[in-house]
Amino acid sequence: MIEELLRSSPGLLNFAIFFLLAVLLLFVVLGFVTFGILSERKVMGFMQMRIGPNQVGGRWGLLQTVADVLKLLIKEDTIPKAADRPLYIIAPVIAFAPSFVVLATMPFTDKLQFADIGVGLLYYIAVSGITTVGVVTAGWASNNKYALLGGMRAAAQMISYEIPLVMSVVGIILLTGSLNLNEIVAAQEDIWFIVLQPVAFIVFMIASVAELNRVPFDLPEAESELVAGYHVEYSGFRWAMFMLSEYVYMFAMAALTTILFLGGWHPLPFLGFIPAAVWFALKFSIVIYFLIWIRVTLPRLRADQLMEFGWKVLLPVALANIFVTALLKEIFSLL
Amino acid sequence: MSLSGEFIAFISLSLVAIIGGVLLLNLTKVVHMLVALVFSFISIAGIYVLLSAEFVAFVQILIYSGAVTIIMLFGIMLTRHDDKHEPKGNFWRKLFLLLGIAGFGLAVYLGIYNLDIPAKPTTLHVSNTEQIGVELYSKHIIPFEITSVILLVALVGAIILAKKDDQEEGDRP
Repeated sequence: MIEELLRSSPGLLNFAIFFLLAVLLLFVVLGFVTFGILSERKVMGFMQMRIGPNQVGGRWGLLQTVADVLKLLIKEDTIPKAADRPLYIIAPVIAFAPSFVVLATMPFTDKLQFADIGVGLLYYIAVSGITTVGVVTAGWASNNKYALLGGMRAAAQMISYEIPLVMSVVGIILLTGSLNLNEIVAAQEDIWFIVLQPVAFIVFMIASVAELNRVPFDLPEAESELVAGYHVEYSGFRWAMFMLSEYVYMFAMAALTTILFLGGWHPLPFLGFIPAAVWFALKFSIVIYFLIWIRVTLPRLRADQLMEFGWKVLLPVALANIFVTALLKEIFSLL
Repeated sequence: MSLSGEFIAFISLSLVAIIGGVLLLNLTKVVHMLVALVFSFISIAGIYVLLSAEFVAFVQILIYSGAVTIIMLFGIMLTRHDDKHEPKGNFWRKLFLLLGIAGFGLAVYLGIYNLDIPAKPTTLHVSNTEQIGVELYSKHIIPFEITSVILLVALVGAIILAKKDDQEEGDRP
């Protein structure tokens, strides 16, 4: 359906349809964030032998996040007197907008995708980098030492972990011969790239956790040393925008991991009768669970360890992976 | 010219790019300027997309979002935060500047208004990422490699400069 819409001639009707679809996607993502946070708290509780939220909305605390968001909405919106007012206001917008924009190229199933860009993978990596500008802006505009330190750390972390992230997917690009996410999924019809590129998968997962600013790489907002990092001065809905962008990135990164390494919507053998969307959702949920698992299991790294690990371990491993992949590809093409 | 969606997109993108550029020159705080610069760069990337050069567009965003963040850090670290705005130029200077800009604008407008570039049908917009790759690695391989060697030299040089400082400090008792 969307394929035809993308090929049809542009017009106001077309625009309206895409606008409605985008609003629909926004609500789906907001629903994901609501229950993603709840499930994160539940899983964390389970792993730490606690119960987790169980009061609001029945036995499983189904309305806990809704109540939290409502609290944030009616909270007083404070802007510090010494803050840089225009930048303080625009920073959450700069941080959030790219997180939703990157979802446009994700092929959720073979039918459901918003834009089929030739360089979809590059698009994701490029646009997600803009968020860091918003984070640094927020850190500076707050006029607070902790916030500025958090912003600085966010910038350093983004620069050093974006490189291994890009390098780890080069192996996949070599095997597929395309940056298009649809073609990458199509190339995994027989065998998933997690089997062909296990090293790339490990590097990608580590670098993606670092890009998502989650424990053990959550230095920009390390509670124990920086209070709350770059959003220490933010309250109410402006703060919620930062949190929202973080969880929308979690959604996007889990979708990207599914597409790149877990074969997207392709089913396991003999299970093709299950619809593609269900397969995608299943793999996506496994990646989300894995991300939560990492968060509960590992302690936070020190800032210098983080930099050393990024440059001295992840980058050489990713480069070696590219080299070996290119070599093997040439050898197999000769045979 | 008919009012098509592409035209509207072009107008709004170029307006944002120009306004970003003007703000970059006129704002007084470094960080404000850099945010204006971000808007300028992103809308230029949008114009590349309109020209169906997606690869160039997203490489532009990829490179400049990182670069701008770094410049922003330098701006924060190397400039004073309590800079006072100083009045500059007088009325006559501003008037002459305005006249000069208007004259330049008029000259450029007259120059390009009737310019007719014959549109050649090309296949450059079809899978242009692949085409760029093929061109780069077959026809322009030597300049490409030399560029990477120069960048490597710069990188190694930076590391040596940074290391040297460290050792000298270490030598001191």
